[in-house]
Amino acid sequence: MDIRKIKKLIEIIEESDIAELEIKEGEEAIRISRYSAAPPQVVYSSAPSASPALGAPQTAPAVAAEEKISGHVVKSPMVGTFYRSASPGTKVFVEIGQSVMVGDTLCIIEAMKILNQIEADQTGTVTKILVDNAEPVEYGQPLFIIE
Amino acid sequence: MFLSDNQKKIITLLADGEFHSGTELAHRLGISRAAICKHLKVLSESGLQHSAVSGKGYRLDNAMELLEQSKIEAILSNQSKGLLSTLEIHDHINSTNSYLVELSQQNASSGFVCFAEHQTAGKGRRGRQWVSPYGSNIYLSIRWYFQSGPASISGLSLAIGVAVIRALRQSLVFPGSGTSMDVGLKWPNDIYSQGKKLGGILIEVSGETDGPCTAVIGLGLNLFLPETQAQTITQAWTDLTKVTGQQPLSRNKLAGTLLNQLLPVISGFEAVGISAYIDEWRHYDCLKGQSATLFIGQQQIKGTIEGVDNNGLLLIKRFDGLVQAFASGEVSFSSSVR
Repeated sequence: MDIRKIKKLIEIIEESDIAELEIKEGEEAIRISRYSAAPPQVVYSSAPSASPALGAPQTAPAVAAEEKISGHVVKSPMVGTFYRSASPGTKVFVEIGQSVMVGDTLCIIEAMKILNQIEADQTGTVTKILVDNAEPVEYGQPLFIIE
Repeated sequence: MFLSDNQKKIITLLADGEFHSGTELAHRLGISRAAICKHLKVLSESGLQHSAVSGKGYRLDNAMELLEQSKIEAILSNQSKGLLSTLEIHDHINSTNSYLVELSQQNASSGFVCFAEHQTAGKGRRGRQWVSPYGSNIYLSIRWYFQSGPASISGLSLAIGVAVIRALRQSLVFPGSGTSMDVGLKWPNDIYSQGKKLGGILIEVSGETDGPCTAVIGLGLNLFLPETQAQTITQAWTDLTKVTGQQPLSRNKLAGTLLNQLLPVISGFEAVGISAYIDEWRHYDCLKGQSATLFIGQQQIKGTIEGVDNNGLLLIKRFDGLVQAFASGEVSFSSSVR
C-alpha cells in the first residue's frame, strides 16, 4: 500500500472520531488504531463511518487514491455488495465500451437483502468499471465512469 | 405446469381431500371419464399427488385450500383495503416478484398485490430457486412506490421481517395456552423456526438514486411443503404444518392477515424508518450470541453475532474483540439457533 495513502488515512482518522479503522484492498490490509487498549468499538465494514445514516458522508480512502478521473463518475448510493449481473451466470448489465442511456441498469447493490438496481444518470459510454463483481462497496465509492 | 380450465376444475373439486368418483368428475365437467383420467395423469406428473381407489374414485393425497379473492378480502382491515390498489391471484406465474418488476415499467402505482398458487421460476436472492409447488404455500409480492431514493428505505427489509412475524404470531396462537409459536428472524429477514427456514423475503428496488423508486417486496412462506418437492433444497427447511403439528392453516386467512400487517408497515416506512421496528426486530433475533461466519464475496468473517445496530446492520464480534457492522453478506451459523 502506498505510504501516501496510509498517511492520508491517518489524517482522516485524526480528523474524525473513529477509534479504529481496517481496510482491505485485494491482498493488502491495514488497520489503524487510535487507542491501544480501547474498549470494543464498532467498525463499519471496510471504510470510515460511511453509511449516510451514520454520519456525514465522508470521502472513502479509495476515492482519495483515485487519480485523474475524467468523465462522469457513478457512485454507490449506499453500503452493500456490488453485482454486475441479475444473478450468477446471467449476462452482465454493462461491459466496458458499451453505450448506455439514462435509466439503463448498470449494476445491483445488495444491502440488507434489498437488491437495488443502480441506473445510469448520464448517457454515454462506460469507460471504466471500478469494482469487481460480488465485492463490498462503500457509500460514495466510484463504481463506473461514463464518458 | 400450466392448467387448462378443466384441470383447474378438477383440482377445485378434489381440493377437499375426499374421494370423488370418475363418474362424478366426468359429469361435473361434462367430459368423458377417460379425459378425466388423462388430466389426472398430467396433474400427477406435475407434482399433485393423488390416489385412485377402485370403487371410491380419486383423492388428492393432501387436501388444499385454493386462494380466493373474496375470502382474502373478507379478512382485510379497512386500513389495508385503503392501501390495496389491485389484488391478483394467479394459478401460474414465473415469479410474483418478476411479474411486478416487469409491470413497474409501465405503471408504478402503490399497493399492487399479487399471489400465486404456483411459481414456475420462484426465486430467492442471487438466482436461487424458491421451491413453489401448487396450492400449498404462500407466494406473495407487493409493489410500492417511494418518493425518496433507495438509500432512504434501506431498513425496509428488517421492518418487513417484523411484519411477517407479527402476522404469524397472530395466526398461530396455540389453542388453550394463549402462547404464540416459536418463530424468529435470521438477519436480515429470513423467517426461522427451531433453526430451520420457514420463509424468505426478497426485495427488488429500481429507480433513480435520489428517488423516486419502486420496490417489489416478495414473500415465500412454507405452509405445507411435500418432501418430494423439497429434494432440491440444500438448507434446513420447515413448514407451518411441521412447526405447529397441526393441519395446515387456512391459506386465505393467513394471506389476509399477512396483508393486514405488511401494507401498513410498507406504506408508513418512509415516514418512520427502521427506528420504529428495530427493538421489535431484536426481540425476534434468533442469531444473537451464535458463532457464525459471514460470507461477502470472497471474504469470510468469523465471530459471534452481537445483534444489529440501530440502522439494522449486522454486528459481529471477531475473535480479537473487534466489533464490525455489515450491510450485506450471508450468515452461516455453526451451532443451533432457537
